Amino acid sequence: MRKLCLWTSLLITGMIVGVSCQQQPAKTTTAGPFRFRDRLSEYGFFTGELRQLQPRKGVVNYDLTTPLFTDYTVKDRFVVLPEGRSISYTATGALSFPDSTFIIKNFAYTSPEHRKVMLETRLLFKDPADGQWKVMNYLWNDTQQDAVKWIVGKKIPMTFLDDQGQQRHTVYQMPNTNDCKRCHINNSVLTPIGPKARNLNYTRVGDTENQLEKLAAAGYLTGMPALTQVPQLPGWKDSVHFTVSERARAYLDVNCAHCHTKGGDAFNTGLFLEYEQTSPDRLGVRKSPVSAGGGAGGLDYDIVPGDALHSILAYRMNSAEPGVAMPELARTVVHTEGVALITQWINALPNAKK
Amino acid sequence: MKKHHFYLCLIALLVACNGGVKEEGGDGYKTRLTFGPGEEARIVEAMLSLTDSSSITLKEGTYQFDNLSIAQVKHILIQGAGPKKTILDFSAQSQGGEGIRVTDVKGFTIDGMTLRDSKGDLIKINKSEKVVVTNLHAIWQVADSTSGGYAIYPVLCKNVLIENCYAEGASDAGIYVGQSDSAIIRKCRAYKNVAGCEIENTSHAEVYDNEFYGNTSGFLVFDLPDLSQRGGYVKAYNNYMHDNNERNFAKAGSFGNTWGVGNAAPGSGIIILAASDVELYNNRIINNNSAAIAVVSGFFIDESAGEKMNDKYFPIPRNIHIHDNVMEMGNAFPEPVYAHHIGKVLVGLDQQLKAQDPARKDMRLPFILYDGITTNILTKGTAVNPDSLCIRQQGTNLFVNIDALNIRSKNWRPSTDMTPFTCK
Repeated sequence: MRKLCLWTSLLITGMIVGVSCQQQPAKTTTAGPFRFRDRLSEYGFFTGELRQLQPRKGVVNYDLTTPLFTDYTVKDRFVVLPEGRSISYTATGALSFPDSTFIIKNFAYTSPEHRKVMLETRLLFKDPADGQWKVMNYLWNDTQQDAVKWIVGKKIPMTFLDDQGQQRHTVYQMPNTNDCKRCHINNSVLTPIGPKARNLNYTRVGDTENQLEKLAAAGYLTGMPALTQVPQLPGWKDSVHFTVSERARAYLDVNCAHCHTKGGDAFNTGLFLEYEQTSPDRLGVRKSPVSAGGGAGGLDYDIVPGDALHSILAYRMNSAEPGVAMPELARTVVHTEGVALITQWINALPNAKK
Repeated sequence: MKKHHFYLCLIALLVACNGGVKEEGGDGYKTRLTFGPGEEARIVEAMLSLTDSSSITLKEGTYQFDNLSIAQVKHILIQGAGPKKTILDFSAQSQGGEGIRVTDVKGFTIDGMTLRDSKGDLIKINKSEKVVVTNLHAIWQVADSTSGGYAIYPVLCKNVLIENCYAEGASDAGIYVGQSDSAIIRKCRAYKNVAGCEIENTSHAEVYDNEFYGNTSGFLVFDLPDLSQRGGYVKAYNNYMHDNNERNFAKAGSFGNTWGVGNAAPGSGIIILAASDVELYNNRIINNNSAAIAVVSGFFIDESAGEKMNDKYFPIPRNIHIHDNVMEMGNAFPEPVYAHHIGKVLVGLDQQLKAQDPARKDMRLPFILYDGITTNILTKGTAVNPDSLCIRQQGTNLFVNIDALNIRSKNWRPSTDMTPFTCK
């Protein structure tokens, strides 16, 4: 058996060594396992200087009304559809993207000199071989000319301006590819988190038309019902149109519910924070922690209505200590504005015993 | 067949380009990687790029990691040179909830190493099947509330074996199996944790030939509300649980109306909370100086437990079978009991029994405590033992029904009459 294998190996070594051990550009259109390319520039998503992120034709920029907080980084999001295909509308969950779609998310921070400094670019690719999403991460090089394939994550010291223009310093944690999976897996299936109809359903700053309608008008999105029929996630900062409760629940949905949901990475906790959750118990109201250990900070309940100071949820959001901090990943500094919103929400919850 | 064989070789060669070596081992690992200390970066990368049926061998020495993770693969072995030889140190952990995180792996074995000093849990194995943890030492060198919660922590798993392991210093449970189905814990030791070993919302567990000692409490079988499944069908036998009398240093739950391990009174040998179909037999339960065995309902620690009842949670323990254990107790409560909320209840119980019966003046609290909160409160029934607690033990001063429902009233009458609960 072994001899035969050796013999066969020798025969084919010459044929395949060149193929398997050299860096080959990926062929995304042919059969065979998809391979992510080594550099971001190789995909040709952008024209001109890469760091300007000028999308070529067919690369569609989009935004979310309530985005995930990631250490005050500035994010640029794009979707790249295969030629002649479009996204199918779905009322719940991520929109239905065709095979061979790329979703691109670029992370940068604002330096004290107000320069945009590129950190990383994350790709999701819907592999036509099996219809499954695959993840890859790219680290911007020191010259900011290109980003290279990078699976192991990286700690990147950064001095940045937060949303109030205050200078802060942290060690940013670029995730490794398993970290990517932890947030993106539900019931063992990898899915995009952000681009849901309800989180795209708003008018972007500087626009006059609703983002979803624009996508539909341009032919990128099909099957969308009348806008009045499309669910809408509140904008977490939009106090003109939404109540504190609506904004807080939207914030928790986006920042927590990819894990804190049935089948998510935090399924074992019994704390489920998706926007459509209606059970006070599931949302953590007078719910005892399950496996928080010291992360609970000696507090009894996830949420004590009317008392954010004694609510584990707010306590963990207000920490940057590993083992305490929530979310566990993608955050090394406290999101002051997010904590303020959740604190305000908890303090306004009616304190009648259930 | 030949063609199939050709492809096997092809795969092997492709793998070989990535530093793997194909061996036709009897255990079926196709890719075998070996690393030594100093190669941490390569180990991190190897774990992220793991393919199905891979083994990683870590040679003797001490390794420094922030954290490690393995996700969504099948048939994986992480092999060290032995717990005294291969040491993984996670004191540099700067993000995440644990030192090693294993997610969604079918067939995971970790064997022969020490894991130490992570900020969160030491090894968490989430939503995996065929999990084998052997010859693993998981320790915090300083045992206090800054320690992570769980040393060895499979949760939402199917078919778990934990064998020849040692856990020390956890601020919650040293060995903890949660929301899992079918688990065996044997030949393990746990020392200086809040709970030596805990089976929580886990069904079909067998715990035998272990030694849990020097913890706050030796062994817990808990069912908590609001979780994915009920536990039950737990057997614990041939264990040696002794000298669990230490201060409860858990931070979770500020010793109020709470569910966590913070409720475990110093000096507890075994505590069954809200779990059903549990059999405890042939254990040596020695010198746990508050209570050898406590059987309590969810109502004992939370009067609103009834509101949380559903098909995944039933607060009242049923079908608890206790027989043929050897129990001994020291002459006095351990000192930390007086500073613990449940501990104070036990001290109060002891005083009440002595007040009711002066002949008990020099006697310790009985070995087995039962809160006496039964399904009668749900059915308005009057049966003396509606939930089939059954005890068959030789000796005296065996049992007290705490009469916990009346603990704050003038009518409080704890009773040492074991007759209704003696196995028929």
